[in-house]
Amino acid sequence: MPTEVILPKVDMDMDAGLLAQWHVATGEHVEKGAALFDIETDKAAMEVEAPASGIVGHIVAEAGSRIPVGQVVAWIYAENEEIPDLPPGGTISGDTGAAEQEAGRNEVAEVPQPTAPAARGSDEAGAENDSGSPRPRATPAARAAARKSGVDLGRVAGSGPKGRIQADDVMRQQPVSSGPAAVAGLSEAAPPVDWAENQRPLAMTRRKGRAKGHPILLIHGFAADASGWAPLEKALGDAREIIRIELPCHGRSPLVRIGSFREFTRMMVRAFDDLDVAQLHLVGHSLGGAVAAAIADIRPRRIASLSLISPAGLGPEIDGATLYGIARATRTDSLAPWLKRLAARPDAISHDFAKAAMMARMEPELRAAQVELADMLFPDGTQSFDLSAAMARVDTPFKIVWGRQDRILPWRHALRAPDVAGLHLLDKAGHIPHIERPEAVALPLLENFRTGEIPVQQR
Amino acid sequence: MNAPTRQPDADIRELSYSEAIREAMGLALERDERVVLMGEDIGVYGGAFQVTGDLVERFGADRVMDTPISELGGAGVAVGAALTGLRPIYEFQFSDFAALAMEQIVNQAAKMRYMLGGEASVPVVFRMPAGSGTGAAAQHSQSFEAWFGHVPGLKVVQPSTPEDAKGLLLAALEDPDPVVMFEHKLLYKMKGHVPEGWYTTPIGKSAIRRHGKDVTIVASAIMVHRALAAAEKLAGEGIEVEIIDLRSVRPIDGDAIIGSVKKTGRLLCVYEGVRTLGIGAEISAMIAESEAFDFLDAPVLRLGGAEAPIPYNPDLEKAAVPQIPDIESAARRLARREV
Amino acid sequence: MSDDNRPFAIRKYDAARLRDALRKMYLIRFFEEGAEDSYMRGLIHGTMHLSIGQEASAVASCIGLTDEDKITSTHRGHGHCISKGAEVGRMFAEFFGKEEGYCHGRGGSMHIADVTKGNLGANGIVGGGLPIAVGAGLTAKRLNTGAVAICFFGDGANNEGAFHEALNMAAIWKLPVVFICENNKYGMSTSTERSTAVKNIAERAVAYAMPGHTVDGNDFSAVAETVETAIARARAGEGPSLIENLTYRWRGHSKSDRNRYRTKQEIDEWIARDPIQRFRKELIEHAILDESEAEKVATEARQEVEAGIEFAKSGTAPRVSDLARYVYAEENA
Repeated sequence: MPTEVILPKVDMDMDAGLLAQWHVATGEHVEKGAALFDIETDKAAMEVEAPASGIVGHIVAEAGSRIPVGQVVAWIYAENEEIPDLPPGGTISGDTGAAEQEAGRNEVAEVPQPTAPAARGSDEAGAENDSGSPRPRATPAARAAARKSGVDLGRVAGSGPKGRIQADDVMRQQPVSSGPAAVAGLSEAAPPVDWAENQRPLAMTRRKGRAKGHPILLIHGFAADASGWAPLEKALGDAREIIRIELPCHGRSPLVRIGSFREFTRMMVRAFDDLDVAQLHLVGHSLGGAVAAAIADIRPRRIASLSLISPAGLGPEIDGATLYGIARATRTDSLAPWLKRLAARPDAISHDFAKAAMMARMEPELRAAQVELADMLFPDGTQSFDLSAAMARVDTPFKIVWGRQDRILPWRHALRAPDVAGLHLLDKAGHIPHIERPEAVALPLLENFRTGEIPVQQR
Repeated sequence: MNAPTRQPDADIRELSYSEAIREAMGLALERDERVVLMGEDIGVYGGAFQVTGDLVERFGADRVMDTPISELGGAGVAVGAALTGLRPIYEFQFSDFAALAMEQIVNQAAKMRYMLGGEASVPVVFRMPAGSGTGAAAQHSQSFEAWFGHVPGLKVVQPSTPEDAKGLLLAALEDPDPVVMFEHKLLYKMKGHVPEGWYTTPIGKSAIRRHGKDVTIVASAIMVHRALAAAEKLAGEGIEVEIIDLRSVRPIDGDAIIGSVKKTGRLLCVYEGVRTLGIGAEISAMIAESEAFDFLDAPVLRLGGAEAPIPYNPDLEKAAVPQIPDIESAARRLARREV
Repeated sequence: MSDDNRPFAIRKYDAARLRDALRKMYLIRFFEEGAEDSYMRGLIHGTMHLSIGQEASAVASCIGLTDEDKITSTHRGHGHCISKGAEVGRMFAEFFGKEEGYCHGRGGSMHIADVTKGNLGANGIVGGGLPIAVGAGLTAKRLNTGAVAICFFGDGANNEGAFHEALNMAAIWKLPVVFICENNKYGMSTSTERSTAVKNIAERAVAYAMPGHTVDGNDFSAVAETVETAIARARAGEGPSLIENLTYRWRGHSKSDRNRYRTKQEIDEWIARDPIQRFRKELIEHAILDESEAEKVATEARQEVEAGIEFAKSGTAPRVSDLARYVYAEENA
């Protein structure tokens, strides 16, 4: 019996090797242990020794071919053994190549091909992507609740940090049952609004302060949102914590149907009560100023100081056309002219400013809600509420800042403020002095804060 | 309930955590001839933390064996003895020194049954005094439970009360597989109810130490007590914290944690080991993969050891591991939806 | 006692025991050649460490043991396993990763062991078995079983901390342990001359107050006699001993070895000192068996190995779903 020579496994993870070179030829004599051929693997090249002494009768694998481990590559015959014409198993090098190619093809076929996301699964994700809007920030629980109740997360305002939608936000967004009566009662112009229940918390954002001192609570005006405070915040510095609450039907706060200024204020007081702050400096602009005055009247002990910027509530006049113009505008081009009326110098309102303002008001529901709010608060272009009595009761440091070029609320309303209020009437400022002249606004405000932080006896 | 499977007639008395462990070892030595204690200075010295105490006087130096300062060899002798029929309890003087014996614990004890196809059993118990707070600095204060928890074949327990210290040690002794028990050094003097007689606390079962609906805190060892103190303060603010005492790091009681998170939607993991790649990572990932995911209503928070060795200076040392105000503030932020 | 000049093994053991020793040496040789061949044919997927050339050390060290006595072995442990009574069929099955293997395919070459025969397992960690053997000695002493623990390790392990810690503890507690260093001159490629401060590893016994002996590990009788003395000492409660069996592995460290650190001449010299041929000649010289009987022993061993390979080939593959079986005790799982 001839001795078979196989391609040995020489590495742990080897299943084939390259037969690099033969050291012997057919018919030659070899000694057991002599080098027979070289194999190369991914890691090394090494000599394979003859397993027996004798004549190399047949070499059945050619140099340069890749051979699977265990495959016979040659036969060694004893000195006196008869060598047949054909090797016991036939030649194999050609087959091997074919087999390898075959295997190669199979391998390629098994590699998962990157496929088009045809089956992009969930309806939730699909709907959001189709609308082109970014995926809303929401907790897993909120997403699960939205899936369950069929609520579109894109229509839910998140009350969590960074506007994150939390489970509660979705729960309160459950559509109010729209029976035939409700449908009939809708005005033709107004798009359907998903009104939330009143209990829904208002959107609130906070920025930590660097030093001690009471936090500052900022309440924005009609048709604005918390982002409008950025210039003033910069001017106020980072010593005190800043808290911003967004009015109902504004920013990320819920869209709610409100029957009166009193109800509007009650929602704000509830949000105010939820704050874990003993005392704070209250700052309000325009409608937010009126709300601030109302809060100061209801919760006097928690107010360290009151600062009102162009506040509403001190007289009947108001530029209703601008209010509705802003509330109804559906594109930047129709919004910008109204915005320019807010400022002393029209060029203070850039195209980018108007565009950003429009971006924040893209939601038709939000616009409809604000129109309805304007209908309630400012019927016939008139301020329906009066805060002068409330302001008269304020006994904390109190300042009012107004722009002399205000075209929305006339600055002369300031003259109706109580005598304890310090008045700061700014030139080159319209209805939005905190955006037009933030430093000039910050100055009296900071003074007001400092006074508010001095114990009463020492004032 | 968090009560272990104790005998119904067992009395309730107060013992310290170390007395409870000693009582467990005494019972075991009495009851089972195969039990031996091994460790450095556990004989007449009574152990570095006086846990073995007077056991050498009661059971003799042949069964309460002082070993040379040879952690690798000592642990290995315990493994070999367990493999051949004894029930050794090997005390590391400090869990930090187990680093010297990782070979025997991880490569041998943990794998022996598996490598031998189930034909061998290594019922050894390794006791590890662990944790910071004693001013012992970087090489005598570590919390390695996650290291050992990473090794299939080991079981890792971390009692937080005297009752569980005794119950888990006896459970470990009865267990046919190697068990590593982490004992927090600051807990040794803590007193609590300890039933008399032989009882076991099941390995792999956590305990709810406080019920609440707002935030789930999963804590282990001394962190359980810090979490309880924080929860008490938060209760005054109307925040109801649920506290799960992990008790076992491996196997981990997933069901209890998942159940609690489904209820609260908010999870805070508090542990003394280094924060990164620690127990909190495992629990967070487990929740993310579980059905509790859909109930999460806030990001999961972890409070763990600082990314630094345990420092010597007492202020730094305190700052290196979670303290009550840290837990309080993190849980408050979660409850108030500020994260 | 009529012929005191005969070698120890011939004097001490009856013919059947000696014939069995020869059979086991052949079994080891053929088992490992069969394993090597199976590996080269791609039938075995892991590497292996062959002890071809070291058969006398394994078999002679175990000839005086009962199933109650324990051994701890090394990564080069097939010989110890067969010496302690394992069947080659189940060993091959383990090699082939089959359920019928001693470790149900979970251990492979480096962990084959028949625990029921007192083999506590081969060990993939150099020095890993040393403290474990001391633990086995502690159990024997504590429970008074009368058993001894034989601790095999290589020359490489004598520089591990575990070696020193284990010898020290066995000595201070006077435990029934026999430490047997199979010194095959190289820890992988590094020679003992380069790695070890003492000339003979047995000299290290002095540091641990125990007897130390250096023996020709290819001389069956010399090994048997030295180990027998150490076992007697251990069983008498006098403590451990350290024995150094000088031997040589003909093959490389493992299948990845390119043999660049030793010469062909050195290998050939050791092959010429084949421990099996030497023992077989000794048995024939002392008329324990004749040439044809010896050949019969070899043939039967070869057949046993071939049958073992066939048994392993036809074995059952473990179910992938059982991957985590045996991590913990079953009642525990």
